[in-house]
Amino acid sequence: MKISDLILTANHNLFRNKTRTFLTILAIFIGSFTIILSNAINTGVNDFIDKQVESIGGDGYIEVAPKAVYEQLEALTSAKVQEYSEDAKTVENSTFDDETIKKLSAIDGVDSLNPYSLVTVDYITTNKTDKNYKVTLTILPDDSLKIDMVAGKQVSNNTSDYEIMITEDYVEPLGFESAESAVGQELQIAVPNTLKCMMTSDRKTCQTVVTAKISGVAATGVMSIGAGTRANTALYNYLVDLQYDGLPESQKMAYMATGHIDPVKEDAIRKAFEDEGFTIMTIDDEVGMIRTFFDVILIVFNIFGAIALLAAAIGIINTLFMSVQERTREIGLEKAMGMSNTKIFLSFSCEAILLGFWGSVIGILISMAIGYGANALAHQTFLSDFPTFQLVVFNPVNMTVITGIIMLIAFIAGTAPAYRASKQNPINSLRYE
Amino acid sequence: MNTIIEAKNLTKVYGKRSTAFTALKDIDLCIGQGESVAIVGKSGSGKSTLMHLLALLDKPTKGQIFIDGVNSTKLGAHALNRIRNRKFGFVFQQFFMNVNDSVLDNVILPLKIAKVGRFKRKKLALDALKTVDLDEKAKNKAKDLSGGQKQRVCIARAIVNNPEIIFADEPTGNLDSATGDKITDLLFKLNKEKGVTLIIVTHDEDLAKLCSRIVRISDGKIISDQAVSKDQRKESSKRWEKEAARVKKANEGKAN
Ligand SMILES: Nc1ncnc2c1ncn2[C@@H]1O[C@H](COP(=O)(O)OP(=O)(O)O)[C@@H](O)[C@H]1O
Ligand SMILES: [Mg+2]
Repeated sequence: MKISDLILTANHNLFRNKTRTFLTILAIFIGSFTIILSNAINTGVNDFIDKQVESIGGDGYIEVAPKAVYEQLEALTSAKVQEYSEDAKTVENSTFDDETIKKLSAIDGVDSLNPYSLVTVDYITTNKTDKNYKVTLTILPDDSLKIDMVAGKQVSNNTSDYEIMITEDYVEPLGFESAESAVGQELQIAVPNTLKCMMTSDRKTCQTVVTAKISGVAATGVMSIGAGTRANTALYNYLVDLQYDGLPESQKMAYMATGHIDPVKEDAIRKAFEDEGFTIMTIDDEVGMIRTFFDVILIVFNIFGAIALLAAAIGIINTLFMSVQERTREIGLEKAMGMSNTKIFLSFSCEAILLGFWGSVIGILISMAIGYGANALAHQTFLSDFPTFQLVVFNPVNMTVITGIIMLIAFIAGTAPAYRASKQNPINSLRYE
Repeated sequence: MNTIIEAKNLTKVYGKRSTAFTALKDIDLCIGQGESVAIVGKSGSGKSTLMHLLALLDKPTKGQIFIDGVNSTKLGAHALNRIRNRKFGFVFQQFFMNVNDSVLDNVILPLKIAKVGRFKRKKLALDALKTVDLDEKAKNKAKDLSGGQKQRVCIARAIVNNPEIIFADEPTGNLDSATGDKITDLLFKLNKEKGVTLIIVTHDEDLAKLCSRIVRISDGKIISDQAVSKDQRKESSKRWEKEAARVKKANEGKAN
């Protein structure tokens, strides 16, 4: 028998006893559905995280801040009471003075370190709206970073024009109809001069309103690194000058920095920075937790799925043994007509594999229907701020591998019945009286 | 006349030691091409056992079987399967059909096993069904056929691969005499027109007398092996034809 005939015949045989086959496939489906859907969610989450990681340039990118800042943040989020110790080095107000920068840059594996001063802007607005909006503005110092853009381009540092990119949630408040229509439009930034504002109560007199061009709209992210409203170097430096004008140079202290390191030496570099009172944030720090969380969920669901598949495998064995029993005479006849034992074995194996195949395919189809439905629903509700976040992503390679594994399990389950069929003596099956 | 099957010293023992039962003892048999051989005997005498050995469905405990001069006991499983698939056709007392499949699919089965292509095997199966006068039932499900029609489908299935030998084990055993006659008619037509060798296991003396040769066995031994004289054959054939005509008439009367 040709392989194609073998498969077609096996499929035909399967659906001779529709109820039994349906129930067996249903059992496989429960397992495949669980595994496929949880994998799709995991892929979706990881895809999203990957996009976020990519948005800040991937490996080796760091953002540096004084340890004290992070410790304060940590104290806010964790209720752990820590014991006071004389030995503990308390570092306060670490800043990137020239000496520190030199020292830190000299650490093995540090490729670059670009400190920048912090700018606090009062508001941003456009001539399309009467309202002013608060914003945290930071710099995007590096053109090599790829930001996940919804429309337009990220800011360029290759120009003396003032460029700014906004996040999606600002599009509507700033009076734009869509992200696309915001691209190329003008945006006003009100930046206060620290010195002047200390001496007056009329804020307007100490502010400067700078006009910049919106280069593009970035997707809303879940991470602080690389996200947010960002200015190009030209605009940022101009804003820094406006803010610190009149103050002594020592006030214009930089205590944030971006840079690149050799990812292999990350641990050593992290330690060296800690000793100087700085904390390094890499992409992995931010996404690691999220990834771990979803990986654990995936493992739990895969275990559920595996247990379901184990039960389904027993179902396959049972179904096929019944089938072999029922078709004793048919097997005998086929053998009499010259079908080899191997082919008999293969034909029953084929049935087992097809059970696995249909169970997986139905699992994939129903997961897709539910997954894409949930995606659409999520974007109308709790994910409306994250249009680039697909809750479930059906990766064809994953689906193929899962289907392959389920078919393999089904094959293994089918070997015992298939072997019994292949070893059956045709004479015994053809005897009557 | 060429010898197509030759059995030497065939012995078949079922079971082992205390339960051992010798179903065939030292059988020697030589069957020529185009012969029609009836194997006759009481129930349990070893007819089916002999047929199964000759058809290479089972291995003898002792002795050899030569097919076209080739010693089959020295052949591997693949070669044996091939001989059965290409040279032999089988008709059993019970139909062994896949009743939920179409008539055509049932007839196609041996060709599927023989890896014949889709179109060719369909054509061959329809030809075989035409031979048994059931070509317009090709698309019907096998379970919708009457007993006689089912056995005709089995004959179509047995001849679809254009075999040299047809083994029939009690082919009319399950049928009433009228439908049985039609089956017999078909088998002998194949024998006459296509020179197919017939080996028919039966306990029906009338059917046996239509054959060119009758081998009688009892308790696993051949007790007689006689050619049926031409006159005898003709006579039983005539008698049989008359009977068939009568039955046909009766059936037509019923139908009208
Ligand atoms: N598989 C077997 N195991 C034991 N005895 C068997 C087996 N098959 C057949 N026999 C015995 O061999 C004898 C011949 O059987 P069989 O060839 O079927 O007879 P027939 O076809 O002439 O009725 C019977 O007595 C039967 O019980
Ligand atoms: Mg018998």
